[in-house]
Amino acid sequence: MRASLRLLLPVLAVASATTVHLDARQETPAAPYVPPRTPDGQPDIQGIYNPVGTFYNIEDLEYQSLYQNFKPNPSVRGRSLVVDPPDGRIPYQAWAAEKRKPIDQLHLDPTPEWVDPNAHCWPQGVPRHLNNREFEIFQPPGHVVIFNLAHHTYRVIPVDNSPHIPANIKLWVGDSRGRWEGNTLVVEVSNNNDQTWFDVMASFHSDEMRVTERFTPVGPDRIEYRAVITDPKVYTRPWTFAIHFNRNKDPGAEVWEEACVEANQKNIDLLQRPGR
Amino acid sequence: MTARMVCVLAVAAVWFPSASVGQSPAIPRAADGRPDLSGIWQAATAANWNLLPHAAEKDVPAGLGVVEGNEIPYQPWAAAQQRENFAKRATADPESKCFLPGVPRIMYMPFPFQIFQTPGHIAMAFEYVHAVRRIFMNTPHPEGPIEWWMGDSRGRWEGDTLVVDVVHFTNQTWFDRTGHFHSEGLHVVERYTPLGPNHIQYEATIEDPKVFTRPWTISFPLYRRMEKGLRVLDYECYAFGHERTWHRPPE
Repeated sequence: MRASLRLLLPVLAVASATTVHLDARQETPAAPYVPPRTPDGQPDIQGIYNPVGTFYNIEDLEYQSLYQNFKPNPSVRGRSLVVDPPDGRIPYQAWAAEKRKPIDQLHLDPTPEWVDPNAHCWPQGVPRHLNNREFEIFQPPGHVVIFNLAHHTYRVIPVDNSPHIPANIKLWVGDSRGRWEGNTLVVEVSNNNDQTWFDVMASFHSDEMRVTERFTPVGPDRIEYRAVITDPKVYTRPWTFAIHFNRNKDPGAEVWEEACVEANQKNIDLLQRPGR
Repeated sequence: MTARMVCVLAVAAVWFPSASVGQSPAIPRAADGRPDLSGIWQAATAANWNLLPHAAEKDVPAGLGVVEGNEIPYQPWAAAQQRENFAKRATADPESKCFLPGVPRIMYMPFPFQIFQTPGHIAMAFEYVHAVRRIFMNTPHPEGPIEWWMGDSRGRWEGDTLVVDVVHFTNQTWFDRTGHFHSEGLHVVERYTPLGPNHIQYEATIEDPKVFTRPWTISFPLYRRMEKGLRVLDYECYAFGHERTWHRPPE
């Protein structure tokens, strides 16, 4: 082992010299990635992607690891997926901040009123359905369709300049209309209901929420995603949520069925356990 | 044939010179020349209430049935099981729990669905509980045993007919509200044959040697929903009536 490490040292030296050289070259910006086109002329971003984010607490990544091992990870404390405002906090109006406050104590063992809607297997809404498990982007003519592994849901994004449906109809994943600005897919999402949260921490919105999303492919295997969230009933100003998606490059990968409601008795039993 | 009908047919032949007698009106085609099935469709049968011929009851529309020969060929034990299912149907029907309804039942639920089509992949997105069917073309089923609520669908074209082979089911879904059922050994072969721009003839052959004595077939048309600006909306059945959530605190 020791011998082979010594053998590697010159290689590492060369590698770091190369890195320096590459860094110098990056001063001239690389040409932006141009994706191939679908038969109907859309930039082709089809494929299966995994989001790199957190949906335990979008304002603080410390708790995401609770899903894996029930231990918070202090090394990422305070890191937020909210990129605007600069403090990384959702700009709640005072009443709204007050309303969600009990979750700070209850999130580890919530009473029924404070259970994450996601734990009921309900559709996760926009943008959360892109911030959980893997999903597939499919681009049949005139559309972008997203299929989620989690909860077997989907979202249809017509790319056709058609008007939104009547405002009084509220939907679990809203009503989406897309357009391409260069190679960026811009989606306006209206008609959202008020039943979804952005994470486990009761980060909520009203049924007046509108979302403007930007899906920008920055390379063949990576999409940068930004969502500007506007809801004058709940926030003091629009705010921006940002994550990215990495392509699943397994050959022949398919998104299969994940039943959720059909297998959710354990969650119901947990909520109704004696002493609860 | 009356003289008047002959006259109408003659006029039709003049207006549509490419359509000879016995041929359907032109069907839309995708860029690869296959029939283009994309759009929003819905069945108009009472099959979800009962696959077989039945009279109306309160909240149950009457129906002539969709089963060829008007008989489901149960083995004796299975016929008894169906009668038991029928007796318990109010709570035992998986639809009453808002579970995924399986195939072919999803095809005749009284909700619209949208077909999206590319050469390698046809997808169906249903209004009912956001159910999804992914039909991958000319690929093998993954190796089982797998138990999926909606099964695993693999498609191929036979002329202008889309043929879909569906396996890997659970034994948890029913065919209708009267308790017609199957085992996890269910094998469904569906045939989607466009009759014109706005109609698809749907046929499904149902095979399950654990439950039935022979394969049997259902068929009905799928109709294109023609309303201007129509969209598939949502029906999140399982989310209705959850009064104990955060947004609806207990009184």
